[in-house]
Amino acid sequence: MITVADITSAYGRKQILHGISFTAERGECIGIVGANGCGKSTLLSIMAGTLKPKSGQLLYYGRTAWSDAGSGRMRGDKQVIRSMTGYVPQENPLIPELSVYDNLRLWYPNKKQLRQELEQGFLSLLGIGEFSSKQVCRLSGGMKKRVSIGIAMAGMPPVLLMDEPSAALDLICKEDIRRYLLVYLERKGTVVLTTHEESELSLCSKLYIMKDGRLYETDSRLRGDALTGRM
Amino acid sequence: MKQKLQYLYIEIKKTFRILPRMLLQAVLLLLLTGMIALGGVKSMEREPLTPGADIAVVVREDNMLTRMALNYVENMESVSRLCRFRQTTEEEGFRLLDKGEVAALILLPEQLVEGIMDGANPTVDIYFPKHAGLEAMLFRELTEAGEGMLRVAQAQIYGADDTAQAYDLTKQLSVMEAEIDSYNLAFALDRLALYDEETVAVFGSMNVMQFYLASGMVLFLLLAGMAMYPVLQREPSVFRRQLERQGTGKGWQCFCQWLCGVLCMGVLFGLLWVVMALAVKFFLLASEGMPDTAAGQLMADNAFWYPAGVKMGIAALIVMASTAFVYLLHSLAGSRTGGILLVFVCSVAMVYLSGGIVPSVFLPETMQKLGERMPTAYLIQAAGGILAGSGIAVGGEDVAALCFYTVVFVGVSYFVRGRDRA
Repeated sequence: MITVADITSAYGRKQILHGISFTAERGECIGIVGANGCGKSTLLSIMAGTLKPKSGQLLYYGRTAWSDAGSGRMRGDKQVIRSMTGYVPQENPLIPELSVYDNLRLWYPNKKQLRQELEQGFLSLLGIGEFSSKQVCRLSGGMKKRVSIGIAMAGMPPVLLMDEPSAALDLICKEDIRRYLLVYLERKGTVVLTTHEESELSLCSKLYIMKDGRLYETDSRLRGDALTGRM
Repeated sequence: MKQKLQYLYIEIKKTFRILPRMLLQAVLLLLLTGMIALGGVKSMEREPLTPGADIAVVVREDNMLTRMALNYVENMESVSRLCRFRQTTEEEGFRLLDKGEVAALILLPEQLVEGIMDGANPTVDIYFPKHAGLEAMLFRELTEAGEGMLRVAQAQIYGADDTAQAYDLTKQLSVMEAEIDSYNLAFALDRLALYDEETVAVFGSMNVMQFYLASGMVLFLLLAGMAMYPVLQREPSVFRRQLERQGTGKGWQCFCQWLCGVLCMGVLFGLLWVVMALAVKFFLLASEGMPDTAAGQLMADNAFWYPAGVKMGIAALIVMASTAFVYLLHSLAGSRTGGILLVFVCSVAMVYLSGGIVPSVFLPETMQKLGERMPTAYLIQAAGGILAGSGIAVGGEDVAALCFYTVVFVGVSYFVRGRDRA
């Protein structure tokens, strides 16, 4: 279970997030929508441990990731965040000069495990095995995104954080990623994603709208104008 | 730790993947700098400038004494370097002067030599064009200098004559005049005797060839840093953050990138060394070991072929400091184009300030002082040490300065990259 409690964040004097709170259970997909610059990526960065919140608490399956309890000073446990989460940022964290396999080697130090994943694990499900020898700079956007997801899945974390995973991808690729997420959810993984895509919203069991750094729960069946009207 | 070593392994792999392309770019750069250096060597070995100004001379009385005197003056070093005498008639001389074909016209009177010897001192008329060019101006300076010298010699003779008269020493006068004549002739024949010899060590303890080769090496290594962009670039922030998430901190990332840069620079240095060794061998064979040639100058200490442990150490220091410098510039620039431009401008400017392009004595004093403390000055000194062997001492100050700059550059790069959260 993920517990986000009263998380705040600021860049200098500018307050970005105002007391964000929500919870997510195993096998649940949480969708966060909102206008550009409303703080969605900041929230995911905090949850992924790449940004420090100003205050609040974050728990992954009962283990504290961020907390300001007691001392009043924000403390993070990088080990908890690392072992519990996989993070797919908007841009792909890849080295273009190297092959897909070499890129994966950076995040999968165990060669044997990587081979297994490529042959019959999540990486094969993503279809990465078919182009693992290709140089990253020669891949399409969709292929790169799949590799990014593959990287995030190193160590099989129970929580997957995805920042607009389908942005600028073609329909086939979007569908592939959606199918992959369904499998992940079936295996009781938890997904938190920010998105503008309706196909991804259909995966979400809970939907939140972020507006001016505040999070509002809304009906997960809302689509189109009804949804944008609330943003 | 495994994750960190994995990152280092991947960075090294990336470096080796990029290396062939980088070497190709470096070879092109080497060819370019090689051609410039060859041009420089050729111009250094070129004969002095041939006389530029034609001077018309009209001899009103053509006898052996006058011809000898004219021949003597014409062959004086200071005159022969600047002008050529053309004997002509008075009418033709003025015509040439009017047409601007000669820079000056000299009219030598009759009884010139005899007049000088008996003290009658007949006048030599020299005509210059109304709008004198550079050659005419130089010749005017030359004649004024010659006139000044003659005036001094005459004053000495008259002074000696008056003194002899006053003290009733006329019997000794001929001896005194002979002494004065030989004294002045000695100066006239050997102008260098007029000057005190002072050696200005523009290149320190290196000779010209060693100094310029050392500064060329440094400039090449720094400029090759332009091609090292893929290795030393500021990685995208998303990649760095992912690495940090996985436990590979900023410090280790910086260190690994710098280390891979050192690897590249080391390979480039090796390549440069091989090219230089072959070039020296070629020149030595071509010139049969003549000490006056460029290769001969380089081999002055006969140490080029003996790479010792100390030389390897100095080479490693040069490679580390150069990489740190280039790494800092790429960190500051933050983009490919910016990095390449910054490396080019800073490298050329700093080598220039250190006297690697134009000797530093020709630079303003402030720039000279600034140049002495530039990292490039220490790099050139260290490179000179490798080239010239035992002849050049790479002192503790140089080693300390290079270590200091390496640490500072890598430290500042870490700070700059750490601040970038965009």
